[in-house]
This record gives sequence, structure tokens and C-alpha cells, in this order.
Amino acid sequence: MRIILDKIFTITAWFCAIMMIVILGIYLLPMFSKGVTAVVFQGTVEFRELQLVKHGRGDEKAVQQELEKSEKLRNELRAIISEFRKGMNREAIGERIRDIYKDYKDELKNKGIEGDQYRTLYSKAKEIRNAFCDLLESNDNNFVLSELDKILAQRNNLNFESKLTQEMFRLAENYKHNVEKIDLARQSENETALVEIEGILNVLFGPELKSDSPAPLLAKDQFGMTRWDMVERQLNLILYEHKWVTNEENPDGPLVMESIPRKDIFAGTVMADFFVRLENEAEDIFKPRLTIYWNYFTDDNESSYFIGGVGPEIYGTIILTVMSMVFVIPFGIITAAWLVECARENIFTSIIRMSINSLAGVPSIVFGMFGMAFFVLWAQPQFEIDPEACILAGSLTLALLTLPVMIRSSEEAIRSVPQTYKEASLGLGAGRTRTFILVTLPAALPGILTGIILSLSRVAGETAPVLLTAAVAVGEVPDSILDPTRTLATSSYYMAIGDRIAAMVPHKQFGMVVTLITMVLLLNAAAIILRARIFKKLKGH
Amino acid sequence: MSKPEEGNKSVNNEPVTRGRESLVLSSSQNMRGLIYALLGKWSLLTVAALSIVAIILIFVFVSKNAYPFFKEISILTFLGTNDWHPTSTDHPSYGALASIVGTVYVTINSLLVAVPIGIFTAVFLSDMVSHKLRNIIKPIIEILAAIPSVAYGFFAVKIFAPWLQNEFGMTTGTNVINASIMLAVMALPTIISVAEDAISNVPRELREASYGLGSTRAETMFKVVLPAAHSGIIAAVILGMMRSLGETMIVWMAAGNALNIPSPWWDLSQSVRTITATIAGETLEAARDTMHYYSLFALGVILLMVTFVLNLVSEYFLRKAKIKH
Repeated sequence: MRIILDKIFTITAWFCAIMMIVILGIYLLPMFSKGVTAVVFQGTVEFRELQLVKHGRGDEKAVQQELEKSEKLRNELRAIISEFRKGMNREAIGERIRDIYKDYKDELKNKGIEGDQYRTLYSKAKEIRNAFCDLLESNDNNFVLSELDKILAQRNNLNFESKLTQEMFRLAENYKHNVEKIDLARQSENETALVEIEGILNVLFGPELKSDSPAPLLAKDQFGMTRWDMVERQLNLILYEHKWVTNEENPDGPLVMESIPRKDIFAGTVMADFFVRLENEAEDIFKPRLTIYWNYFTDDNESSYFIGGVGPEIYGTIILTVMSMVFVIPFGIITAAWLVECARENIFTSIIRMSINSLAGVPSIVFGMFGMAFFVLWAQPQFEIDPEACILAGSLTLALLTLPVMIRSSEEAIRSVPQTYKEASLGLGAGRTRTFILVTLPAALPGILTGIILSLSRVAGETAPVLLTAAVAVGEVPDSILDPTRTLATSSYYMAIGDRIAAMVPHKQFGMVVTLITMVLLLNAAAIILRARIFKKLKGH
Repeated sequence: MSKPEEGNKSVNNEPVTRGRESLVLSSSQNMRGLIYALLGKWSLLTVAALSIVAIILIFVFVSKNAYPFFKEISILTFLGTNDWHPTSTDHPSYGALASIVGTVYVTINSLLVAVPIGIFTAVFLSDMVSHKLRNIIKPIIEILAAIPSVAYGFFAVKIFAPWLQNEFGMTTGTNVINASIMLAVMALPTIISVAEDAISNVPRELREASYGLGSTRAETMFKVVLPAAHSGIIAAVILGMMRSLGETMIVWMAAGNALNIPSPWWDLSQSVRTITATIAGETLEAARDTMHYYSLFALGVILLMVTFVLNLVSEYFLRKAKIKH
């Protein structure tokens, strides 16, 4: 029994330790696998166009050639829609019929036809018009077809030889042709679907190139889908109609998604051809090619991160981190030096130690509140600076936040310098200050450096205090330390909870966070390696 | 720093160049050296006192902004009622109970997950594992500690929450369970490293005596080593608790951000909002110098007080652990 308990204990302990590795795996794998797609992906011709137009990158001629070919195919597809539209736009047909009727009336008058003849022709035309307008309202295929036949039967009536009436009949014929193929009961749905498809097509292909229409305001609307995975998502929306329906096996359960191919819905019409062609030609239109977008790390983003990279965020993070380090390093090392070299065990020392520990325990959000109340709202007006969030206030706040970390690691590093070093120096007649600067500090430097790197990584990932003291969600790249900035951490937050547009580009969301994690992990790896070397060196002594 | 160095230079370098007779310092040289040394010491002291100044400033400025609030609204209404409508124009009410309960929920639940795993891992690392494996697991734990909380929050919202929703049919994936597990992952490294220190500080003789009496490893651990290391382990738990308590981004993103006291009380799949999330979410929106703004600082004061006291307690236990061995 005791042995079994012991075994259980051993297994549990192993399990818990292995769990650490598993947790890290569960966390890092999906994050990185999704984050990497921000940089490495199947770029489409639209992406190459965007790079050319925005940044002047790439071979202009080749891109133009590709674009022309792609544009030709796109225009053909667009033409199919407008053809279908023309035949089915009942409001337009109705309006045209009414116009024709009016013009016809004028024509009759101009021709000088009067009296009874005018009245019969006029009333006959009116009859046809009314019948036509009525049948346009109807959604019953059989009724519409029979009415259309009746109208078309009048065609050979010699009274209607005018051009205008002939156009009326042509419209009727055209309409009949269409009605034979589609279910009128579904017409309003088809119309909504068509509007939807056109909307998606504009997202997919980018705006139609027309000389007279102005370019869209938002950068994201100026180009089509730049990545093959996004193309596929939009294609899926066009090719299939998605509906939430009750689950047949489990009627009380949650609704399930059902996808119906649109080409079946539009079967028989010209639109069916559209879907087949779109599906087959998508690759030709977009020419996806494996792209590595290194400039992701330097480009600014546009339209709420829809296109572009994380350049300003990286820049802001580095500035904020480095500035806070500039403030904290001297204070940290001096305090640590004092604690190791000068402090005696008295009340004052223990108060300092207690303050350092308390500072370490203060929640970061409270640092943020303090930074806002003290640096931003109280101190900045004293120096006649607008009480707005800025890099200076943020880095001072972060410096305070990381002060205890810095002090502790420096203290440990200084303490671990062998006593013999100091004694040798002091024995040679060097003063205490001299000994500290020339002997102890260099010997402790690797340890202090480890502490600095760890503080850096902590500060780079800090979010809540930065949100309150230094960050903006959207803004220019800062010019001075009195401007607010974007940082990787705060932008990660804004993107995660972000608006509709950010949700459309998950690779950008993950890209941002993974850039932050990578930065932090690299710093930590450096610290771990550095520490391993110090450990080896100390062992050697 | 540089001045005292120069002072020493004059004291120490000149004798070599001048020859024998100047090995004895003149009284003025001696005085100068002393003054520089004292100056250096006092300037060091001033810098070192910065921590004291900082902690005092934090208390003063957070309390100063909370003071107008406590002057007007009794602390009992603040802590005891559950009606948080600080922006209402007619009847603003400031009952922070839901935030406090939310904080308690996620903190306790995260500890329930993190403490057992943390202690087992600490035991594993200190007593059961070869040097090689230890050198693998230690950096992994460090990496877990290094990942920024906003990145954990992002994971909670984008990957963990949808998974909870799809696999367990929860109405919302951002809830107490989600936040607690993420907080546990974040608090684990703290708990492990402090507890491991405590456990490996237990003298070898105690273990050997126990093994010598024929007890198994489990018995040795549970009956001898862990009781001997209890102060350090308590400190570890408190430090882990402080991390969960003060964490903002994870709970802001993962706990659902809904002012809600779960009912029934054991239903952990409901959303809550913690004190930290309330502060983070509303501070930027609250108009400055309004009651709403002050009330958020009042929440900050409470948070500050609680962590301060917890810190003192953990320090007490850590010192106790140190003295013992």
C-alpha cells in the first residue's frame, strides 16, 4: 500500500513537471503557427500591386503584366453579373416600360394621330403597360409566363410598329427568357444574394477600375485580397450560401451551419457559369505565390491593421523600454551597491528593504494609476507640458515598476562576487569606491546584465500601466518623448478586443502578439545563456 | 560617483610617482579623502532612499485621489453593496461588491489549480530529478514566467475561449474558468521557484533520517520535508496569490468583463469582472476629477492595501523560513 502511494506520488510529480512542457507547447504552438502567417504566406497579385503602389517594391513591369491579365479575367466575370442583372432588374424594366409608354404617347401626338385612332392605340398601349407592370410584381412563374405570352401575341399587331413598342416587346421577350430559367418566388432572395456577391467581389477583386470614380478613402478598400487564404475565405462566401438551420438529428440542439452551392441556386441562368468560372479561374486571377514579407517588421499599418506591419509598434516598444532602462539602471545599481557595501543592519536599511519589497508587490495597474495621477496629471503641468499620456511619463512609470527587479538582481550579482577579489583590491591600497568601480562592478557586470535583460523583457510586455500613461490605439509615429506611442503590448490588446476590421485579419492579430512574444523570448534566451556562462565561470574558480 | 573616485586617485596614485616620503598622507589629503568618501556614501544613500520615496509617493497620490470619494461615500456602501453605476447622472451608485467578488473568484480558483501543481513540480525539481532534466525544465518555467500577460490574455480570448465554448458548450468562453486557468499558468513560475527554494533549503539530515527509518519518498516529503518547509511554501502561495490578485490584462480579457456575481455560486462558467479590470477599463473613460474617477482610485487604494498587507505577511514567512535553517 505504501509502495503504491509512493508510486502515485512519483507519477503525479512527474506529471506536474511534464505539464509545464505541455502547457508551454499548448501555448506556443498555436500562437506561433498562426503568427508566422503574418510574414510567410501565399501572396496574390494584389499583394504585389500593393507593395508596388505603396512602397515601390518589386518589378513594375512584371506586376503590371500580371495585373493586366488578371484584370481581363475579372472584367469578364463582372460582365456576367451585369448581364444577369439587366435581365432581372424588374424595377428598371418597369420604369423603362412606363417611360416607353409616355414617349409613345408623345410620338403619337407628334405623328398627328388624333381622335378614335389615338384613343385605341393609346388605350391598347396602356393595357400592355398595365399588364406588364402587374406581371412584374408577380412572383408566380406560370402566371407571368402566360401573361408574357399574351403580350407577345400582340407583337405582330401592325398598330405597334413604332420603335418604342418594339423595344417594349424585346424587354418582354428577354424577361420571358429569364423567367423560364429561374424561380420568381426566390427573386428577392436572388437579388439580395446578387448585391451580397457584388459586395464580396469588390472586397475580393478590389474596386472596379473606373476612370471617373474616385479611389476609395480607406487603404484597405483600394486593393483586393492580398493573401490566398483570405481569397479562399471570400470565395467560399461567394460560392456557397451559408444558412443556420436546425439540426435534423437533434432538433432541440444548437443550430448548424448548412452550405448550399450558389451555382445550384442559379442553375440554368448565366450566373451558374459565373460561379463555375470563378471557382476555376481564381488561381489564374490571383496567381498566389509563396511570399516572405520581411517588411512586416518595419511597415506601418493602414486601415486598422488591415494592411501593413508592426513597424511603429516595435519602434515604440523599444523607445519606451530603453528609456525606462536609462532611468532605472543607475538607480538600481547604486541602490544595490549601497545595500551590499554600505548598509548596516539598522532600522533604515530594513525600511529600505521593506519599501523595495512593497514596490515589487504593487500591482501593475496601480503603477499605471499612480503614473497617470503623478507624472501625467500632476508633474507635467508643473513643467508646462499638456497633461496627456506620453513616452516620458510611461517610461518613468515603467522604471519605477521595474526598480525592485533591477535592485534585486544587481544586489545578487554584486553579492556573488567573491570576497577575495575585494580583499585583494583593498589590500593593494585601493579605496572602497575605487574597489567597487574597478573590481566589483566589472566582476558583477554579467549578472547585472542578466538582470537588465530580464527587466527589459518584463517592461516590453507590460500593458496596463502603458495603457494609462503612454499609449494610443491609433496615432502617428512619435516625434518626441512628449508624444504618446503605440507599443506591441497595447496594440495586441487593442487588436484582440478590436473592431470588425481587425477580426477580418487574424493573421495580423496573431502576428502582433507573436512579434511581442518573440522579442521577449529572445531577450530571455539571451539572459539564460548569459547566466549559464557566469555559472560556468564561477564553477571554474 | 566620479568625484570620490578622483579623490581616491590623488590619494592612491601619487605615492607611486613621488617616491617614498609621500607614502604618508598629508592631513589635507587625508581630510579630502574622508570628505569624498562621506559624500559618496551619503549620495549613495540618497539614491537608495528613492525606493522609500517611491512607495510613499504611490500611497500618497493614489490615496489623495481616493480621498474625495471616501469623504462622501461610506466604505460600507462601497464594499458591501452591489450596484455599480458611477456614470449615471441621476442616481450614481458606487457598490463595488461585484468587482471584489470577481477578484476573489478568479484568485481562489487560480490558486486551486496552481498550488498543487506548483508544489508537486517544486518537489520534483528539488528532490527527484537529474541535473540534466532540471536544466531543461527550469528554463521552460522561466519562459512561462516571461510571456507577457497580454499575450496570455490574447491566447485566452482567441484560442482558449472558443475551445471552451465548442467543447463544453458554455454560453461564453470568457469566464471564471478561463481566467483562473490562465492566471494559474502565470502564477505557477512564482510559486514553483519560491517553493523550490524552501524545499531545497530543508536540511539533508532531515531527509536522510526519514529515509533511514524506512519511509518512502512520498512519506518523507509529506510528513517531513513539506512540514519543515511550510513557511516558505506559505510565502510561495501568498506571492502567487498576489500575482493573480494584481494581474490586469489576463482577467480583463479572459474573465468576460461582466459585473456579475455568479449565481449559483459554484457556476464557474459565468463571466465576472475584477477590481483590476474595472480600473483598467474605466480609468481612461472617466472624466477627471469626478466622483467616478475618484471611485476608481478608491478601488486602487483597496488593491494597494491588500497587496501591501499580503506582502508583509509573505515577508514574515520568508524571514521565518530563513531563520529556521
